[in-house]
Amino acid sequence: MSASSAALSKRPRPLTTLVYLTIWKVASILSTMETNPVQQNPEDSRSVLAEADEARQRLAAGLRLPTGLHPALAAAVAVQVGTAAYGIANHAAAGLVVALAGVTVFLAVAALSLYQFRRINGVRVDGLASQIVLGAGATSTMAYVAAFGAATWAAFESRWWLVAAVAAFGGVGYAFGFLRWWHAYRHDPADHARGASPRALAVTAVLACLGLVALLISG
Amino acid sequence: MANLDPLIHAPARLQVVTTLSAVSEAEFATLRAVLEVSDSVLSKHISALADAGYVRSRKGVRAGRRTTWIGLTSAGREALREHVAALRRLIEGVD
Repeated sequence: MSASSAALSKRPRPLTTLVYLTIWKVASILSTMETNPVQQNPEDSRSVLAEADEARQRLAAGLRLPTGLHPALAAAVAVQVGTAAYGIANHAAAGLVVALAGVTVFLAVAALSLYQFRRINGVRVDGLASQIVLGAGATSTMAYVAAFGAATWAAFESRWWLVAAVAAFGGVGYAFGFLRWWHAYRHDPADHARGASPRALAVTAVLACLGLVALLISG
Repeated sequence: MANLDPLIHAPARLQVVTTLSAVSEAEFATLRAVLEVSDSVLSKHISALADAGYVRSRKGVRAGRRTTWIGLTSAGREALREHVAALRRLIEGVD
């Protein structure tokens, strides 16, 4: 063997290179892992916990939101609030159509955002879905309720510029609430990962649509 | 020591369940990349955890490819919580 090839063979393997073990070695390692008694060394426990936390933080830190999510969410909420206020104030069938169109826009933006998040990151986070679809955080809820109430009042008064302004405020507040949740999630993913399941969100969306229709018909 | 779960005490297994606690479901390839292990090692761990009812897996599609999605079950989340609490008690006992 030449000197250069000997040097090459001694070169350390890059840390990023995955080392694939043969199946009998894997089986052996896993078997040992399962039959060895549980270690109780506090120093080992500390490092094991730290490594596990690090892996979790690595996953959370690597997650990316779809491009333009915040402005899209703010706009979708603004459209939904504005159209709902118009629909409630306008008792004609046109009002119902406009309000349902607003809900459809919001749900389409929410569904597309969640699909993109899952496609980009290869993970599903129910907590994130709850924040986008339900505005589950306090900031988002307060912004939405305040904007919805004020926009409805303004619509009954036919102050359409105020409907638009308040709806925009609600959208921005909703998106800001989501941003706050996202930062909290990145800081402590385990505490913020849980939320309504996709099935529960679908049922909630249907109930919300039916509730809006009932509100429009009775109003 | 009481409450230390032998099934997730191994560092690699603990990393799997701890990482899964950050999401509702993760794709197999995503989990493998984060944990920096081979397909076969991760697959063995997932099988053992699934047999114990700590994780669930399902087949799905992502960007036109067939993939496996893995999520922590309620039992797995509870086991992780108890195991981490026991480890912290062990550490605090020394401090």
